[in-house]
Amino acid sequence: MAAALRINPQAVRPPLWDQWKYWGLFAAVLAAFLAAVHDLGIGYAVLSAGVLKLGVILEAMWPPSDGEAAVRIWFAIAQTLGMAVLGTTFAALMAVPLGLIAARNVVANPALHFAIRRIMDLFRGIPALIWALILVAAIGLGPLAGILALAFADIPRLGKQFAEAMENIDERQRDSIRATGASDAMVLRFGVLPQALPIWLSQCLYSLELNFRSAVVVGVVGGGGIGFELQERIRIYAYDEVAYIIILYVITVSLLDLLSARLRGNLI
Amino acid sequence: MQGEAAILTAFEGAWLSQRRQVRRVQIFTLTGVVVVLALSVWLSGITATNIGDGLFERIGHFFYRMLPHLRWDSLFASRETPGSLLSWFYALPLWLKAIKETVEMAFVGTLLAGLIALPLSFGAAANVNRRGVLRQVIRRGFDTLRTIPEIILALIFAAAFSIGPVAGALTLTISSAGSLGKLFSEAIENGDVRAVESVRAAGGNWLLQMRFGMLPQVLPQVMSYWLLRLEMNVSIAAALGVVGAGGIGVELDQAISFTDFSTYLAILLILVCIIFAIDLVSEQIRHRLIGGLGKA
Repeated sequence: MAAALRINPQAVRPPLWDQWKYWGLFAAVLAAFLAAVHDLGIGYAVLSAGVLKLGVILEAMWPPSDGEAAVRIWFAIAQTLGMAVLGTTFAALMAVPLGLIAARNVVANPALHFAIRRIMDLFRGIPALIWALILVAAIGLGPLAGILALAFADIPRLGKQFAEAMENIDERQRDSIRATGASDAMVLRFGVLPQALPIWLSQCLYSLELNFRSAVVVGVVGGGGIGFELQERIRIYAYDEVAYIIILYVITVSLLDLLSARLRGNLI
Repeated sequence: MQGEAAILTAFEGAWLSQRRQVRRVQIFTLTGVVVVLALSVWLSGITATNIGDGLFERIGHFFYRMLPHLRWDSLFASRETPGSLLSWFYALPLWLKAIKETVEMAFVGTLLAGLIALPLSFGAAANVNRRGVLRQVIRRGFDTLRTIPEIILALIFAAAFSIGPVAGALTLTISSAGSLGKLFSEAIENGDVRAVESVRAAGGNWLLQMRFGMLPQVLPQVMSYWLLRLEMNVSIAAALGVVGAGGIGVELDQAISFTDFSTYLAILLILVCIIFAIDLVSEQIRHRLIGGLGKA
């Protein structure tokens, strides 16, 4: 022990800072957590009353019932899927030019590159629901506002992903097309797109999965689809119908995810 | 000579048939895409008539209405002067307090979600939990929590816990627990089992094996996912306020219902800046964490 202490004192007795820093971090997080809990008013009384009421709601959910409106509910789910498809398509079309400009190996102007990246970063912070509020106020209730909200929230996200996929391509294929004397457009078409396109499509499919979830969210504030139906039923305490819709929705999401995962597996 | 020609013809035939095959797949895919798109348009009930004239003009006009009426000469004047910056951000202290509430909701929700997900994720990882049934139960549980949209949970919790930040924090706890659990268990499955085996060889029970064999390996990644989720939850928490979960979303919703669109823009600007700042800090920490992993 004495020998070890002589050779490497820090291994035997780590500096006080190393010994205490994790406990210090832990204490800081705990203190912040307790302060936040106090601030939000989370207490025993609120929680116990809420859990009891939640129990009543869960009880009211069983057995699930379609409320004689099965056709309407199925149609609303299909409509939600349609909204997600159109929103993703529109976003992808807009994201292609943005992605091309934001990719370092396509547009070599660092200032433009930097500017468009930061703008996309800023807009990525705005969730679809915030867009939906604006667009419902601007163009009225209905699926159209929902579709545009999905698209607006998706454009910066897809644009960034497209640009990153573009930057990860194999430069040698591009150089070999250029070596044949092809024009810039030809190089893009035959040297870059064949590599980037499958990745882009797979990113679009993944985006579609996310958008099917967001489409419910924008529906709640008036964007149409199943979100609107759900919100209506929660407001009138028809929890058995809520349960029916949630179960149906969870099954649809799982099916869509499975299908999309298989398609993506084929692409890459 | 003749042999060469035969080889050429055979080659050309094979090439043509392959090309036809590719074309068939392309046409099939294209038709599929067109059908899906047409079906989507029909389902959404979008027709030329209900889009109306100048859809984007109307949206543009709306965005114009969101702009405040600022005046250069009184830009830095007091709050009562119309056209000053302060009159645009007239309720700044109130909004900052609401944003603080939103961030606290995200913090509490993410922390609790991680605390729930971490122990369960060891049960969901195939390399450290060999009991198939238990593993499947935990995994399906995570999946279900992940699938239910936050906003639906928030509506139900707002009905149970009354409207306010408690409902929001609990919503984030439940929905983040599902996705964090999935990510944590995937991190554990990528971990090296040999460290676990060496603890077992030294006589450690399952708990000690996980604590000293697995946890040190996955901790940097777990922390990094935790922080990433915190970033996401801030913007989700802001949105949840709209359906009655407290925080800045309530102010946003009010601004819209009072058609006070320049206020909406003002709140949105602050919100985006705060989210951007949190992302920046958290990204720095995450890069350090993962960088430490690479060195070790």
